[in-house]
Amino acid sequence: MTKDASSTRRSFLKGGALLAAPLAAVGVPAVLIADDELKARLARLENEGAVRELHQAWLRRVYTQTRDTASLFTDPKAGPFDPSVRSIGADHAGRPDVIEVAADGKSATGRFYCVVKIENAIAQDCTLARMAHAQGGGFVRRTEHRVLNAEYVKTSGGWAIAKVEFASEQPESGIS
Amino acid sequence: MPGTPYPKEQMHRIAYTKLSERQIADKLSTVARSGPTSASPLADVFAGKTIRIVTDKGPALAYTFSRTNRLSVAENGGGAVEAGYGALTLNSVAFFSHMIPGTQRGYAAVIDQDTNLATVFELWFSGYQDNREVQREIYYGYIEQPGQQPATARHVTTNRVEGKGFYWKQDTGAETLEFFPSAAYSNFVELSRLGGELGFCAPSDYIKINTDLYIYTRTECEFSGTFTAYVMDLNRVEQIGVRLGFDANDSLEYYLFRGRGEWLGQLAQFEKFGDESGAPVPAAAAGQTPAKGARRVYRPLLTMPKMTRAEVDAVCAKKTTAFAPSTGPGALMGGNRGPNTDWLAGKTLTLRYDNAPAMEYRFDDADNLNWRQEGDTNWTKARYQAWESAPGVILFGHLLEGTPNHDGHSVVADFHQGLVTCFNAYLNTPYFANEAGVRILFGVIEMDGLIPPKYNRHHVTDEMVGRAVSQNYAPGLTSMHLYTTPHSLSWIIFTDADAGGLEWSGPAAYVKIRDSLYFMYWLEEACNGTLGTILVNLHTMRDVGVGYNCGANGLNMSAVGAHERLAGQFDITRFYQAKTSGGVA
Repeated sequence: MTKDASSTRRSFLKGGALLAAPLAAVGVPAVLIADDELKARLARLENEGAVRELHQAWLRRVYTQTRDTASLFTDPKAGPFDPSVRSIGADHAGRPDVIEVAADGKSATGRFYCVVKIENAIAQDCTLARMAHAQGGGFVRRTEHRVLNAEYVKTSGGWAIAKVEFASEQPESGIS
Repeated sequence: MPGTPYPKEQMHRIAYTKLSERQIADKLSTVARSGPTSASPLADVFAGKTIRIVTDKGPALAYTFSRTNRLSVAENGGGAVEAGYGALTLNSVAFFSHMIPGTQRGYAAVIDQDTNLATVFELWFSGYQDNREVQREIYYGYIEQPGQQPATARHVTTNRVEGKGFYWKQDTGAETLEFFPSAAYSNFVELSRLGGELGFCAPSDYIKINTDLYIYTRTECEFSGTFTAYVMDLNRVEQIGVRLGFDANDSLEYYLFRGRGEWLGQLAQFEKFGDESGAPVPAAAAGQTPAKGARRVYRPLLTMPKMTRAEVDAVCAKKTTAFAPSTGPGALMGGNRGPNTDWLAGKTLTLRYDNAPAMEYRFDDADNLNWRQEGDTNWTKARYQAWESAPGVILFGHLLEGTPNHDGHSVVADFHQGLVTCFNAYLNTPYFANEAGVRILFGVIEMDGLIPPKYNRHHVTDEMVGRAVSQNYAPGLTSMHLYTTPHSLSWIIFTDADAGGLEWSGPAAYVKIRDSLYFMYWLEEACNGTLGTILVNLHTMRDVGVGYNCGANGLNMSAVGAHERLAGQFDITRFYQAKTSGGVA
């Protein structure tokens, strides 16, 4: 099951509005939706929302450099991410985010086009580099457009990240 | 017999006494009561007045000035203490300083009488592991005016002084050149005290009073620890200030001074337009609160590995490297060196130096050569690298393994002129055995088809003196050279915002190869012992060269190469020229 993240968001809002509206105000079309289908759709939207929230939580921890990401992972040892990555943000020139929840609702994958800020410390093997570090600098910074692939698992405690890594391929533009 | 203006030891070589707190307290006790001396008449601007200075994150200071040199001060509503003081004025600004008797603390205050804004420097000794190094904390505030709302504006740190340079002559007779190529450090040349051979660097503060008037400070860290602060009028080129510290003989200097000067020029700034912020080097790491008086200070002598001759011999025997692969030590400094040349490959030649044994060469290829001194029978193989900086001008470097002092040669050979200059690097120098020394060798090239000149030689020049040139060695690795004297240069490290940050200096020399082509070296003495040599091409704005360093990881010769930008020039060569005095005109 594949869902375009932006269309998912619109569907979710529509669905939420339907659920929140008084039955009398909704009118006949709403009651025509089968109850099972509505429940399944709601579950899927809730899972997608939870995965999205988990992804955002991970991004915040990467950005704030707390690096305390272990609790977000199924295996805490998989938590540490490339330490040269200082922040990951949405790439508005890239394709929309994609979150796919498995039919059984127990796993999911995510694919996110992002702008990555990378910072590498310069080796302190010359006077200039040592002085740069001494004044709080000594880093080479660059920004890259990348694709982030993630795998998620639903546990008894909720959704957790099983794996997250940059895709090897170069991102394609989402703007046509 | 007339004396010379030169000290027995330059500042970076003086073994300053580690004064005890007791020694400092004893030396301060008298001047705390008498106040600072002054060659100029003290100002009576405060005499008979009472003022209260309120600072934002510092003390409230209630002063009663009884005369031109006596005051009482109460800190934060505490008991009043009597002390000696001195004051001077410059236009609307009044400057005064005093110590607190019975302590190692004191203050220097700058008051703008037009705005009633005040900047206060709290000064103290024994706040660092070297007790003699004066510490300072800066507080911004105002003079309390009864019945009036407190002033909301403040003096502010600024980069508006960055790039300027001045000649100053104080009322004490002291003459200096002072350069501000950084917004966090400064560079000073003691013309009268030390003969002006070398420039030195110190952490500094730059504070804006208004568009004409600025406050400058420096603390001579790694040296005597002396603190200097003054207010300067950039248009009138006048200064008033204070000097506090212990000189090389441990005599206390605590005096006010007035000076007049000369504007020497303006270097480029590299911050974004609109960025006028000062203090570009944070006092503490991100997320940490700086301690009182904290600042980033480059302390190269403290952190330098210091080795004996035996240790140098051992480490050189263990590991000697010439032009390691691009990931090796110091490789980043060669990031923009450009492709090396094979121009010398297959050639045989002799470099005949006027003041050293001739060197015979057989170049196997672009990376390997054989050398021997004239008269020797055996050749020694060495790895080398060469670059053609300008047509016919080749710079190459190699180590001379097996020589007692682990020599290295950085050579510029001009095959169009038949001339050669070599910076002969060596170890086992007097202060620290791993610190590089250098000899300049001038001579000619002898090879088939080339007739060298008989008398003409490359020569030492002052044409680069006063210039500033930035160097980008690799991404994130950018500095600027300021050629401060004919015998020294300083290097400034840029911050992330491209403001001038930490700065240091060392002995240097400049040899003219051709117009706009200069071969120069600098020694990172009392720093890390490196010898840097570069051939600066002002047409291509690129330099190539070699570095020579010995440390715990062995002896290393590595490539240096940078893209350059001209950053301006100070008009200073006239200050270094020997002048005829007396005799027949």
